[in-house]
Amino acid sequence: MKQLVLDIGPDADPTFENFVASGNEALIDALLGAIRGASHLYLWGPRGCGRTHLLKAAVTTARAAGRAAELHAGESIDTLPATNGLLLCIDDVDALDEPAQIALFNAFNRAAHARQTLLLSGETAPLGLALREDLRTRIGQCLVFEVQPLDDETRSAILRQIARRRGLELADELIGFLLRHGSRELPRLISVVEALDRASLERKRPVTLPLLRELIQLGLEI
Amino acid sequence: MQPAPTVGPAVFPWRGRTARSRPLQLANIDTAVTQDLWSFCLTRLENELPPQQFSTWIKALRADRGQPGSPPSLRLFAPNRFVLQWVRDRYLRRIGELGLEFHGEPVALELSLPVPGTAITPPAAAAPSAIPDLGAREPVATATASPPALDAQSIATDSVYEKTRLNPDFTFETLVTGRANDLARAAAMQVAQNPGTSYNPLFIYGGVGLGKTHLVHAIGNAVYRENPRAVIRYVHVEDYYADVVRAYQQKSFDAFKRYYRSLDLLIIDDIQFFNNKNRTQEEFFHAFNALTEAKKQIVITCDTYPKDIQGLEDRLISRFDWGLTVQIEPPELEMRVAILKKKAEALRVGLGDDVAFLIAKHLRSNVRELEGALNKVVAYARFHGRPITLELAKDALKDLLNAHNRQLSVEQIQKTVADYYKIKTADMHSKKRTRVIARPRQVAMWLSKELTPLSLPAIGEAFGGRDHTTVLHACRTITELRLNDPQLNHDVHVLTQVLRG
Repeated sequence: MKQLVLDIGPDADPTFENFVASGNEALIDALLGAIRGASHLYLWGPRGCGRTHLLKAAVTTARAAGRAAELHAGESIDTLPATNGLLLCIDDVDALDEPAQIALFNAFNRAAHARQTLLLSGETAPLGLALREDLRTRIGQCLVFEVQPLDDETRSAILRQIARRRGLELADELIGFLLRHGSRELPRLISVVEALDRASLERKRPVTLPLLRELIQLGLEI
Repeated sequence: MQPAPTVGPAVFPWRGRTARSRPLQLANIDTAVTQDLWSFCLTRLENELPPQQFSTWIKALRADRGQPGSPPSLRLFAPNRFVLQWVRDRYLRRIGELGLEFHGEPVALELSLPVPGTAITPPAAAAPSAIPDLGAREPVATATASPPALDAQSIATDSVYEKTRLNPDFTFETLVTGRANDLARAAAMQVAQNPGTSYNPLFIYGGVGLGKTHLVHAIGNAVYRENPRAVIRYVHVEDYYADVVRAYQQKSFDAFKRYYRSLDLLIIDDIQFFNNKNRTQEEFFHAFNALTEAKKQIVITCDTYPKDIQGLEDRLISRFDWGLTVQIEPPELEMRVAILKKKAEALRVGLGDDVAFLIAKHLRSNVRELEGALNKVVAYARFHGRPITLELAKDALKDLLNAHNRQLSVEQIQKTVADYYKIKTADMHSKKRTRVIARPRQVAMWLSKELTPLSLPAIGEAFGGRDHTTVLHACRTITELRLNDPQLNHDVHVLTQVLRG
């Protein structure tokens, strides 16, 4: 008999503290600077490198400090808020469609007067962005950071941390198995841990390699 | 304009020249008193404010001793203009109250930006104060609070200037001249000296990020400096359009017309965005006629020559030809180097020719990205506490120049490795097991594991349908060999560099 599981995730909100990736100290320092209005920031890196986590963490931190902050994403943004003093975060700028690009262009032009700080993210460096040239060069004027990519050691550290937050201890052999046999993209790895957690609650069994193997047999993609 | 700098050369304890490093007998009583007052404020504010507020705004401030003698004073420095205004609006009054409580008499409070140039020596460790502050190039602004009231007059002066929407940083003095913008600059200076009577309108066109906006702000700032009572307005076309829409919604066209016709100098940026906004064009047409008839100056920028603007009414295009049309071209290498040096000077940062040349060589097409690159190099040097050298600049620019997504494919890696070892790409998939082929193949597998997030089975598949244990074996072999085989280690290092761009 399966135990039904309530859909209440124990995952913590993204913060700078729970961003596990070494080599990004200067970037985090610059993010704190952006929250204080030092300069616009553009950070880039491939999917799964933690851009969204950092943007969300910046919004949380700014709000806790009393500064208004908003996070927008997706291709279709018609207008962006002109609120004075706003920390305006926009994820995935490479996906913006034409009207959204103009909205961001206007946000750039408005920023100095409205004392807004822009915090943007995308998949490639400014030189590689396929956007309107007047927007692309404005992004290139920001302080640009590449989010340092993950290695397997960091990937296992993140998995352990996420699991621990759910009260799970992942055995080395299980993590090793995932990194040897599965996709090593972080979002995929995290969803596997979530699936394991759910299965363990439903079946009242500990999270082990045999449980993982069983789930794979049942069609779980790793 | 902003109030003149009132901050003289000062000691910045957090900039490395610590009080501790000074001979003890020079320890100043005022310093001690100020530090005590500030420690007192810190302790109290830490208790009063939410922790995130305290660490973001209050801990970002640095205290310096005030003027010696009485009355007691406290001088605070904010890392940038944003923090300055934030603290002035929200916490300065409370700090004043704490000063009164501490000394039993009002404390002269001063809050300002650090003098540009003093912020260059980075602290040894990456303390919060090491946040790259690009705002430091702005003129020094000072906010004083002779408690309890704020200095109302300086704010009033600010707001007149603020209405112009001009950027005080963009002046003729900060503009670098070269063949690319010589003519445009000369025309702009003429217009600034004789607004409304020399060339009207002045139409400046050129590609993206070449300094059109800088030039037109320079005109505005020069006119303002000559005559602070001149009614000046810089407006981006999109904002002008928003004004028209608002006038529509609020049925306030009269006020809209009155405002735009009251200007002595109208600067309108990026006119190409007028395309097909008919009502906006109509309003602008009338404003244009009224202003030129009254001999008021109009300055226009655009990304193309007037006749090439899409979706613009002919009657407007023909009017743009009444005055003078000048072009700004992309800057050549020497001018890009000169621009970088000038911007570095404004940041009070020493920039060697070799570094300026490196940046200018890589970013050719526009000034904006040139500036972004310089900011990055400066921020990088500050964070790591290192001087700006060629090596450092190369490191710093990696974040900008990796133009393409670094999500490499196994095919790219196989081809690069095969080329490097002068073997055929097909050998990456072959069954051959001779050392000259097997070793490069293992290197390519190792690189695929390090540089892509692909699963090991997927990597094995890409190498001629091999098992994931073969990939694992290859990775272990290469990791071990690198420790003892300098040549192989060198190869792997070079290949990583090449692949990462």
